[in-house]
Amino acid sequence: MRTNIRQRCDGVTRRDTLRLGTLTALGLCLSDLFRHRAGAADNKPVRAKSCILLWLDGGPSHLETFDVKPDAPAEVRGPFAAIATNVGGMQISELLPRTAQIADQIAIVRSLTSPLGEHGLANHYVLTGYKPSPVLHHPSYGSVVTHVRSGRHVLPPYVAIPEAKSTAGAGFLGLSHEPFMTGGDPSKPDFRVRDLEFFPGVTDARINRRREFLAEFDAAQAVVESTGARTDSPFDQAYRLVTTPEAKRAFDLAAEPAEVRARYGSRMFGQSCLLARRLVERGVPFVTVQNTGWDTHDGLVLRLRDGYSGAKVGVGLVPIFDQGFAALIDDLHTHGLLDETLVIAMGEFGRTPKLNVRGGRDHWPRVFSAVLAGGGISGGQAIGASDRVGESPQDRAVTPSDLACTIYTLLGIDPRHELHTVDGRPVPVNQGGHVIRELL
Amino acid sequence: MNFSLLLCLALFTGDADRPFDFDTEIIPVLTKAGCNAGACHGAAAGRGGFHLSLWGADPAADHEAIVHALEGRRINLARPELSLLLAKPTGQMNHGGNIVLSEQSRGTARLRDWIRSGSGRGAPRRLTGFELSPSQYVCDSVPVRIPLHSTARFDDGPSEDVTDWTIFTTSDPAAVEIDPATAVAQVRRRGRHVVIARFLDRVVPLQFIVPLADAPVDLSTEPRANFIDEEILRTLTLLRLPVSPSADDAAFMRRVHLDLTGRLPEPGAVETFLSNTVADKRARLVESLLSSDAFNDYWTLRFARLLHMHSLPNEKEGVRAYAAWLRGELAARRPFHDIARELLTATGDSHVVGPANFGRMVADARGHAELVGRFFMGMRLGCANCHNHPLDKWTQDDYHGLAAVFARLERGRNVQVASRGAVTNLRTGEPAVPRVPGERYLNSDGDHRVEFANWLTGTENHYFARATVNRLWRAMFGRGLVEPTDDLRDTNPATHPELLDRLAKDFAKHGYDIRHTLRLIALSRTYARTDASVSGNAADDRYYSRAYVRSLDPEVLADAIADVTGVANVYADHAAGTRAVTLVDPLTPSPSLDILGRCSRADGCDENATVRGGLPMQLHLLNGELINRKLSDATGRLRRLIADGKTDAEIITEFYMRGLSRAPTVDELARWHERVSTGDAADRIERLEDFAWSLLNSRRFMENH
Repeated sequence: MRTNIRQRCDGVTRRDTLRLGTLTALGLCLSDLFRHRAGAADNKPVRAKSCILLWLDGGPSHLETFDVKPDAPAEVRGPFAAIATNVGGMQISELLPRTAQIADQIAIVRSLTSPLGEHGLANHYVLTGYKPSPVLHHPSYGSVVTHVRSGRHVLPPYVAIPEAKSTAGAGFLGLSHEPFMTGGDPSKPDFRVRDLEFFPGVTDARINRRREFLAEFDAAQAVVESTGARTDSPFDQAYRLVTTPEAKRAFDLAAEPAEVRARYGSRMFGQSCLLARRLVERGVPFVTVQNTGWDTHDGLVLRLRDGYSGAKVGVGLVPIFDQGFAALIDDLHTHGLLDETLVIAMGEFGRTPKLNVRGGRDHWPRVFSAVLAGGGISGGQAIGASDRVGESPQDRAVTPSDLACTIYTLLGIDPRHELHTVDGRPVPVNQGGHVIRELL
Repeated sequence: MNFSLLLCLALFTGDADRPFDFDTEIIPVLTKAGCNAGACHGAAAGRGGFHLSLWGADPAADHEAIVHALEGRRINLARPELSLLLAKPTGQMNHGGNIVLSEQSRGTARLRDWIRSGSGRGAPRRLTGFELSPSQYVCDSVPVRIPLHSTARFDDGPSEDVTDWTIFTTSDPAAVEIDPATAVAQVRRRGRHVVIARFLDRVVPLQFIVPLADAPVDLSTEPRANFIDEEILRTLTLLRLPVSPSADDAAFMRRVHLDLTGRLPEPGAVETFLSNTVADKRARLVESLLSSDAFNDYWTLRFARLLHMHSLPNEKEGVRAYAAWLRGELAARRPFHDIARELLTATGDSHVVGPANFGRMVADARGHAELVGRFFMGMRLGCANCHNHPLDKWTQDDYHGLAAVFARLERGRNVQVASRGAVTNLRTGEPAVPRVPGERYLNSDGDHRVEFANWLTGTENHYFARATVNRLWRAMFGRGLVEPTDDLRDTNPATHPELLDRLAKDFAKHGYDIRHTLRLIALSRTYARTDASVSGNAADDRYYSRAYVRSLDPEVLADAIADVTGVANVYADHAAGTRAVTLVDPLTPSPSLDILGRCSRADGCDENATVRGGLPMQLHLLNGELINRKLSDATGRLRRLIADGKTDAEIITEFYMRGLSRAPTVDELARWHERVSTGDAADRIERLEDFAWSLLNSRRFMENH
């Protein structure tokens, strides 16, 4: 850390410096922040220090969320109406009233397109920016970020709540860049992260004694090898995490005021979003919140709006998403974190333009939407459009590779930066993608 | 026009007898400048509308692309310097790839002269040889500057100096740097460094050896058990590396137990061994381990990993039959080339015929060819799927030809050879012709798999024996003589090339008996060295002047924890007391093994796989059940020893013996005694638990050394 101090002349502001104290303790180290900035794609200021990916697993219907077709025939329009947002001319689904009020903060990409309509293949493409290949498992965004910004940290640099698809993993970068999965359900009162709490009967005092005993064993070894102790062993990292109450508190949602928790909604998705905010607040560079159930082949009304039959207040996928997402954006804003936190909400593809006979929609990758907010992007806009019936991109087709290129650029990672497979093959972070300029 | 062209020829080529040969004189210029690299015009789709074959593998197509495509605009015969081929790379015109040739360079001059001469294809001639001088360079100190020279021989005349067009690639630029313009090497660090030289399709290695110390070391009196020691000591003498002494009996016993059986020795066995005074007791120990059931279990798992053994969806019978067969073969001491032959040629009901599952672990014939290359030949053929291997001799024809050998195999439950089936050669777009890679096409009508197996396991074939002994070596030392072990090629030389040769020949001579080679290694003086360094060899990680410390495999670690604590791990659908090393199917559910970093074999998991462990593993060891529950288990070793009224010293000694395979020293015993002794019974239990926990988390326990 000291060796990098003199580099401070290259553009780190006082605000950054103040923040670095926290980052050094909890998330990034100083050198990494510099490296991260040095690797920026061009000279544009990089604002996003962290990224929260809200992964809507299964493929959310674009037509029932961010790409409504109120003037289309009923079988395309679907069961829900469109509402206005606080951005003139931008309409979204009536199931997203809270999001409509923060629409000026978000950018909707409505012309994403991919040829892959099978879940596994599609989420590999959308989560890595690479089409699946038989020879290479590409790393996902979070793993690339942790790889580029390796360093001494207390909190794991890539956290998945509660878990991540294998395609959201490290691929060829290897196990040490896999996401740290919290497991469990953050909305449950007894929520705890696996192996983060002491084993029953093991106290603080005993953990310290174990560390001391372990040091005794390993110090004897270091003498034998005459190499000195290793600087930052995995044990030290684990010890720092479990014995740093401030770090562990990141996972303790009970520390949030009840009124804040309520704003996110009492369900798993909302509380996961809140947990994600607590993590990025403490310098964690990448958090994935996984929300499952979006593979709605039947019963759109039940699944997307009601949640259960006869519900008076809808608690289906979209209202739950609406509450958690809008609360997250608001809360990040309140904490002054929105500008430096890129939030992305998306799934692996959209749904068929025409309702099927079971009142659902099937897989449709030819056009779908993604939503971005924060991280210095220009909000209040829709980029690209689907055609009249939400079947194909009408203009400005955007590929998952373009989106990946954009995400990396926003995070200050040069898309051309080369990663290496175990057998030494160089693979750029992104290949063939083009930055979505409208977002910058 | 004709006249002026002739004049140009006479004026500019300098060799009036012969026009430029595009294939061997122009392509190297483009390759040297990087034009046909994968990141530039060599990409499959080309770049900027201009496509060249990768590394110039297809000169006819390249000549066409340069001279005729784009309506010939890349060449301007009248004013060569205005040709796109020159104007772009020299920066006269805007070039996406920036300036890659200076106007004054010899490359520019040659391209200009070639264009001026009419940009013909020239007289076809073939490269017959490519050599470096020196090819090995031993010097005494660093830094040192060494001018390199390369010569090529063609079938049409005398050899030519091609230094200007040779590409030198150094694997460690901090150690050796080579100026591409002058071909002068700067050696900056001591040690042994390898540089790869490429010209056209030839790649040859160049070695620089700089001893690691100024003063020679005298190893002439070091004992030698067999040729392994001769070879190792020869290299150590050359590099002036001193050696660590032999490990004591306890350390040797723990190491050889873990390496050969994946298990820690029992305390009773340790005591018996230590008190044994017979001169050949190490040989007897090795013999008993090689004959044990534990050996068969452990090596079944080791080979299963390399074979990507795993269960298929809703079909556990196949992997069961496969693993049972492999274990039976190992137990019966079947020669390894017979095992190989079975794997290559077996057919039948894969739920019954174990080796028939070999081809079911991969998706198709190409996957089959790659697995064959990796497992039997230690080679990565995958690169040659889409382009000729950039660092090896393998061509696309070799790759698709080998895939074609397995093209007719039906990979359902009943594995059989169909009457039809082909793979497409991506280079030609035609069905690939079955081929022994690098050797010959198989045109007969018979089962090509048999012909391939004959070739692979023939005594004149060294791939198989070299790949196998290299893996056995890695199993015993933690690194292969060639690393990675699935990347044997001329341009990735062994740390000890002669030793690898001798081991391979010896393996073949002794009937491809893996136990023979393992015994040879286990009884060498080299294997028996301590891991503690002596002055001058602490940094050695590849010349075997000392033993290298390695992490225990996840399965071995899980078993070791169960053995030391006396509480077995529980695996779903398996009998109580099942050992992790016998769970050959990596899809057997076990959160603990996953956290410890077990490889998911469906993805393929070579020995050189990824970094393991990390934070989740440490958290699990610290706070999880894997260790904690076993320490507090009333039926576990610790609680039983306490209940039996054992003293602190007895308990400490027992855990040392079980976990570290040695008794604590007097000093250690005293210090631990001081730390755990207390008058409070409950406090004592906690302190002993913390002691045992620390031992199980210590590097000495978690590693093989």
